[in-house]
Amino acid sequence: MKKRRHPLRPGRALSVLLLLLVCAFVLLPIVLTFLYSFFPQSEIKSYLATRRQYGEDKWMQILLSPARVSLRQYYTVLIEKPMYLQLFVNSAKYTALILLGQALVIPMTAYALSRFRFHGRDLLFFCVLVLMLLPFQVTMAPSVITMRTLGLMDTAWAVILPMVFSPFYIFLLRQFMIGLPNELLEAGMIDGAGTWRCFIHVVVPVCRPILGAAAALSFADCWNMVEQPLIYLSKRQSAMPLSVMFNQISTDNAEIAFAGAALYILPALLIYRYFQEDILLGIQLSELK
Amino acid sequence: MFHRKKSLWLFLLPGFLGLMVFYVVPFFGGIWYSMTDGTISNGFVGIENYRRIWKNEVFLLGLKNTMELSLLCAPLIFIFSFFLAALLRTLRDRSLPYRNVLVMPYLMPTSALLLVWLVLFDYGGPVNRIAAALGAGRVLWLESAALRVPIVIMYLWKNVGFSVVIFSAALQAIPEAYYEFASLEGANALQKELKITLPQILPTAFLVFVLAWVNAFKIFKEIYFIGGAYPHDTVYTLQHFMNNKFAMLDYQDVTTAAYSFAVIVLALFGLLYLSKSVRTNEV
Repeated sequence: MKKRRHPLRPGRALSVLLLLLVCAFVLLPIVLTFLYSFFPQSEIKSYLATRRQYGEDKWMQILLSPARVSLRQYYTVLIEKPMYLQLFVNSAKYTALILLGQALVIPMTAYALSRFRFHGRDLLFFCVLVLMLLPFQVTMAPSVITMRTLGLMDTAWAVILPMVFSPFYIFLLRQFMIGLPNELLEAGMIDGAGTWRCFIHVVVPVCRPILGAAAALSFADCWNMVEQPLIYLSKRQSAMPLSVMFNQISTDNAEIAFAGAALYILPALLIYRYFQEDILLGIQLSELK
Repeated sequence: MFHRKKSLWLFLLPGFLGLMVFYVVPFFGGIWYSMTDGTISNGFVGIENYRRIWKNEVFLLGLKNTMELSLLCAPLIFIFSFFLAALLRTLRDRSLPYRNVLVMPYLMPTSALLLVWLVLFDYGGPVNRIAAALGAGRVLWLESAALRVPIVIMYLWKNVGFSVVIFSAALQAIPEAYYEFASLEGANALQKELKITLPQILPTAFLVFVLAWVNAFKIFKEIYFIGGAYPHDTVYTLQHFMNNKFAMLDYQDVTTAAYSFAVIVLALFGLLYLSKSVRTNEV
């Protein structure tokens, strides 16, 4: 498709202005976090100490530029306080294992639910839909009993395994695959490909955008998970991911809070940069709309 | 579509087993749990637990708050995302950078950005500075019933972009020719929106609304991080109730509350789904 450039008309100028304002608001917390991460530790500590003052004449400063730019707090976070790095590694470990498991399981399940006809298919999909809608707490207590029965309680697997079969991503991929034209698979079958080769050589490549979108969204889920580790790892503080412990760390060590936050956001930003087109395209092409 | 293929099991089995073990069995096991008395003999008590929990004030408080928060968030998400998608459409191919920015918060970890929000909404922070400059009084955003406002704003900030993308996709799918034809017939802008855009995006609007509503039931992290396990009464959600009962090892109350809530969620979902299928048959 050829790109058409439209001249900017007054109505559009207003749209641009409004959108710029909204985007500025959206970016504000992220930009501030990175900005504050370069402030020297003493400055951040005294700045955060001015919070929670309730006198009518007491205000926090509006802090925009540091007296001097410092990288020392990054050194503190990464090297001097090994706890932060340990939790960061935990988060990375869980996220990597969950994404790996999902990559193995979820496309196949979605393929079965969208391109095969069998008894109980609609019932199974209905279950997926229902499970996707319910908050984690609904099945929390019985899940713990399941985990205990399987001997997985207080191990990393209790956090990883349920996420591997996450109903939302089965739903997301299924909605994409069900929209694929039948001719695509028929062409593959005429060439003598079986269900497996159709899957590997036709369906998976065509699903590239939604796979990218799902990977990015799932990364965000894992990197941000709070409820599951709180319950499944309650006896093992050291195995917790950063998402659960970060607040504790940043309250105890105010001087490194923003540097820690910036490092914590960074992988999410990189993943987002890499997959942003897939997110837009994947949702656009799937039968979500 | 494949029929009667043995290879089906190859694709289906891993996911099926996982769903069963980690989701379906706990789901049904939980229903059983909510009907027993929790003693060592674990006797069957029928709906006794349900009768008790619906008289429990803390449960009712949590339920009320969860409902109210979601009823605040879902319409706001819906209106904002439609408005933003409409703005984006006027820009056509220039809209991509804005759309990218709007989706970004969806991927950001909550706890990393919490501190910035806490600073912004501090009693002496920038939001209150603006409020004071505008002549309104300062508000105790984080320590009083007003905590709902930052919670809703944080929720909107994070989730609006995803709905915008879904809406944008639906708007882009409407053929340009419809509008050109309407213009030839002398329709004005408002008529075009009402007669073309609205019916065309109705199924999407339905989906966005359901997703926004159901997701708003899950608001918990932000409140937990700011207020802990026992936050201010106006933001004590059902999830708090369930987590706290869980911490007390009172599994009966947890599951009973959980399934009372699940029934409500599913009833709402079923209702919306029915209303959708009725409407799409008409259109």
